[in-house]
Amino acid sequence: MGIDVDVIFKIAGVGIIVAFLVTILDQAGKKEYSQWVVLIGFIYILFQVATIVNDLFQKIKSVFYFNG
Amino acid sequence: MIKIIGAICIIIATSWIGFEASKALSERTRQLRILRSALQSLEAEIMYGHAPLHEASRRIAKQISRPVSEIFDYFAMNLIKADTTASDAWNKALEVVWKRTAFKTTELEILKQFGETLGKHDLMQQQKQIRLALTHLEREEDEAREKQASYGKMFRNLGFLIGLFIIILLM
Repeated sequence: MGIDVDVIFKIAGVGIIVAFLVTILDQAGKKEYSQWVVLIGFIYILFQVATIVNDLFQKIKSVFYFNG
Repeated sequence: MIKIIGAICIIIATSWIGFEASKALSERTRQLRILRSALQSLEAEIMYGHAPLHEASRRIAKQISRPVSEIFDYFAMNLIKADTTASDAWNKALEVVWKRTAFKTTELEILKQFGETLGKHDLMQQQKQIRLALTHLEREEDEAREKQASYGKMFRNLGFLIGLFIIILLM
């Protein structure tokens, strides 16, 4: 359970910081960089979520197939 | 515990980089302003004081602050020491000092073009050349100030936030 809460906080933190970075870069008129920042943050969180969901599916498999 | 110390180190380092980047911007506007006032006083020294070039530039070097004053200092020294033309002495002084200032290549070009005219004309022509260099520098200063206003704050915030970002990625 501890790990799950940690991951949620991490994702929230990345979201907040990416939002700040995007607003600052937009204000300074660097729209192209802000798009890159959004993309990098999105890919990072996607990886995190993908690994967690993968864990979940493995667990479901092992519970319902009785052979893992 | 070690994690927290590392996190603080990362934050300090990235914030420092941001502050340095924004300081370089403000330093450029400051030095451009100083350079403009120096050229104005050079004009005054030549037009109204009728001072010879090395004396005028030595006096100016005393009046203004460090990195820009060195240009005039070296210029005066080169004029007295060696048997060169004024534009040669000016170019040599620029080559030596330029790396220590926050100027960019456009300012260097303006100053070199100005140096080509030094000591070649009579008073009125020389004054016109100084005025020309001053207008060029004024344009550069406006541009530099605009850049400072829009990017100076951005670099500072960017440094801090990128530090936070790295910490969250590494935690």
